Amino acid sequence: MNIKRMGALFKREIRDIFRDKKTMIMMVLLPLVLYPLLIVGVALLSTAIIQSQEEKTYTVAFEDCADLEAEISEILSKEQEEIGYSMEVVSKMSCKEALEAEEIDAYVSMDQKEITINYLSAKERSVTASGALDEALDIYKASLTKQQIEAAGLDVDEILNPVKIADKDMSTAEESIGSVIGMMMPFFIITMILLGAIYPAIDVTAGEKERGTLETLLTLPVTNFEMIMSKFLAVSCIACVSAILNVISMGAAMAFLVTSSLASAADMNISFDFAVFLPGILFTILVMMVFALFVTAVCMCTCVFAKNFKDANNYATPVMFVFMFAAYAPMLPDVELTVQTAAIPVVNVALLVAGLFEFNYNYALFGVVLASNIAYSLLAIMVLGRIYNSESVLFSEGFSSVKLFDKRSEMKEKQMPGIGDCVLLMCVVLLLMLYGGTYTQLKLGFGGVAVQQAIILICPLVYAWYMKADAKKLFSVKVPKIKGILGGICFAFAGFLLALVVGALLTPVFPQSAESLKAMDEMIKEQPAWALILVMALMPAIGEEFLFRGFLMGTLRGKCKPWVAIIVTTLIFAAYHMSVLKMFTISIIGLGFTVAAYMTGSIFVSMLMHFINNGVSVLISLYPEQVGKMFPILMAESLGAVEMLVTALLGVILAIVGWLLVKGKKKTV
Amino acid sequence: MIIADNLCKQFERTVLSEEKKGFGKKGKQNGKKETFYAVDHISFRVKQGEILGILGPNGAGKTTLLRMLGSLMEPTEGSVSIESKDGNIIRDPVELKKSIGYLSGNTKLYHRMSTREMLYMLAEIYGIEKSEAEKRMEEISKVLDMESFFDNRIEKLSTGQTQRASIARCLIHDPDIYIFDEPTLGLDILSADAIVSFMKSQKERGKTVLYSTHYLEEAQFLCDRILMIYQGKIVKEGSPKEIMDACGADNLRDAFHYVMEEVEKA
Repeated sequence: MNIKRMGALFKREIRDIFRDKKTMIMMVLLPLVLYPLLIVGVALLSTAIIQSQEEKTYTVAFEDCADLEAEISEILSKEQEEIGYSMEVVSKMSCKEALEAEEIDAYVSMDQKEITINYLSAKERSVTASGALDEALDIYKASLTKQQIEAAGLDVDEILNPVKIADKDMSTAEESIGSVIGMMMPFFIITMILLGAIYPAIDVTAGEKERGTLETLLTLPVTNFEMIMSKFLAVSCIACVSAILNVISMGAAMAFLVTSSLASAADMNISFDFAVFLPGILFTILVMMVFALFVTAVCMCTCVFAKNFKDANNYATPVMFVFMFAAYAPMLPDVELTVQTAAIPVVNVALLVAGLFEFNYNYALFGVVLASNIAYSLLAIMVLGRIYNSESVLFSEGFSSVKLFDKRSEMKEKQMPGIGDCVLLMCVVLLLMLYGGTYTQLKLGFGGVAVQQAIILICPLVYAWYMKADAKKLFSVKVPKIKGILGGICFAFAGFLLALVVGALLTPVFPQSAESLKAMDEMIKEQPAWALILVMALMPAIGEEFLFRGFLMGTLRGKCKPWVAIIVTTLIFAAYHMSVLKMFTISIIGLGFTVAAYMTGSIFVSMLMHFINNGVSVLISLYPEQVGKMFPILMAESLGAVEMLVTALLGVILAIVGWLLVKGKKKTV
Repeated sequence: MIIADNLCKQFERTVLSEEKKGFGKKGKQNGKKETFYAVDHISFRVKQGEILGILGPNGAGKTTLLRMLGSLMEPTEGSVSIESKDGNIIRDPVELKKSIGYLSGNTKLYHRMSTREMLYMLAEIYGIEKSEAEKRMEEISKVLDMESFFDNRIEKLSTGQTQRASIARCLIHDPDIYIFDEPTLGLDILSADAIVSFMKSQKERGKTVLYSTHYLEEAQFLCDRILMIYQGKIVKEGSPKEIMDACGADNLRDAFHYVMEEVEKA
């Protein structure tokens, strides 16, 4: 890598981006103008509207209730300050007609002891007038009650307030305001960073192709790595500047809002210290800068496939949609930053920033968020490097890697999805699981797990149907040979045993939360055996296999080397289980599934393996005592060295036998 | 000297076939991928001070061949190397690019920069000292008569001025080899003549020029040697005179037609 050459390219990219008006508007003008307009402007506007409403005089009338009219008129004029509006009482022949003609804003009618406020909910003035009347009538009702209690010779206060209830907010003003800011801020900042990064990303990728300067760049004595890094660094810088400007601009707008509301509530004597937010703001800037790298890499990976600006905009739209959807996480109840959510891109950053403003400083989780963002950025840069090495992408007119964007009528029959389709599908499934799945599980409990599994099954099937994919080929729908089935069974047990050993080795390092295990146990205990087998073993065996060994592996099979397809499928399958410990054990089990499905070319083999694996786990949880008697090793709290060695050896032997059985014919679909 | 040794480039293309389903029914479209050679095992050498013209119909593989020679594309098989004046053989793509000035209809300029800014940037990438770069830029702007628009943004330049800026781009590192892919395509007579005289002047300076064109009169007058290619293969090679004599033609255009007809018959 030649730093000087890279520097020259970097300078050119930066100069080019800065000379592009669109980018400058998105990066500088929007954050600097939008927040003040949006936050301060709206606040000032609503204050002005309320003030003008207060200054207006509202006209009301009373229908056939002269006594009440006299009482209420008196209250309206005497208690104007408490009611907040200036009210004028007029007489009308037909109050109903007058209201409909908007000559009056509301009227009161009385039928025996029932008083009705008549108003027009579609008219702002009428709603305000009815509110004022309501308040006046409340005062009237309270005075009547008081009179009647006094007439009965009782103590008014004792009757009306037998006990006194008071609430006291123990949160400081900073905490209350911080929680509101934390809820809103991540969404705005993530969206703005995305807007800040997406235009330069389009400009340096698809824009360069459209302007025809990409080939010029390729004539220069620079390596692909230097070229990518200079582009990546230039866009990252812009995204970082955008991040900082956004945080500062939003912070300033929020500070203005807080200061002005504190000034208006000066009599309440609330003390507020802006300095307490300083660590949060600084951390937010740091996190957002790292996040900007990730956003840049993702945007560039997406836009490099496009042939021009317009195309790139189309590609970027779903990315923006996914990011904004994920940035919404802090606004959802019960979604918090945990070890699991800290690994989910975008969601982790949104939750972290929300937490910072609520003064939750969990440094271990900060570390996970930062590390995962750096890891995702590196991964995305590697992908970008591969794409930039691909002559078909650089010299072609661009191609749609996401088939979903093509018109369905123009789609080729029996086509195969691209890597872009896989990424999109995985993102959609992940988000559906995170939002829809969590919601249904909270609402339906065990039924929610079934819904989750249904989501996993339906998504790849619908996607494949929509893009007119060759379902048989994509999902490896092929009747397996007996040898393949036997090999699969060997792999399933090998995976189970090896995962047992790895699990035993790693549990002390990554302990599973007792709470989540207990919750799972309780959920399982309440269910009949058939339901458990159906939801925990059969449904995942079908749904997850269709998604991972079907759609994902089927796509990768034709696009990359066998080992890459197998490893990527296995790792994504493991990562989807969202647990650090499971990442290792499921990788082992999943590797068996993937290899068997790949080698036999039949998804039914991996479905059977998946069913066996999950089925055994369900049986263990259903009949722990019986299983404990038959296979004490499965129920042991911890494994001894000899036990581990024997189990591992057995696992390896089974894996070798399985491999020999499935590898028979190397023919792949 | 630039050496192309057994160069070939394989691409993949999708061939669509319609499956007939009977009267009134819509046929099913099946896409079948197949590989083909855009450049099919081509070897040649171009000496110092020589102009080599590459001729062929559209899709013959001219651009792919030149892209491989310019190290913009990696050959599927074979190699490109340059023998420098001191006898060293250069094979590394980055090093190769330092000795090559590549110009094609697809190598556009950076619109938001001025010619001076662009040349500065290029000089930095080619590792040319600042004082040396300034001297060269001065010379280039004089030779190509660019002084009046040297500091204007490239997006504001006329077609002819842009073409001169493009030549300036190839000149800044004073390469030994020029590769031009249809450089006069779509240019007016004056701009095209400027390019032709530029190639001639470079030959006189002892530089090697490889260029593809569809203008056969231009090639006949300019080239020392011609390669005619068809479907990725060399079908005729020699000086314009040798080719015309072999085909019994008075001019290169007739010779070209003759060769293509012969190849298609075969």
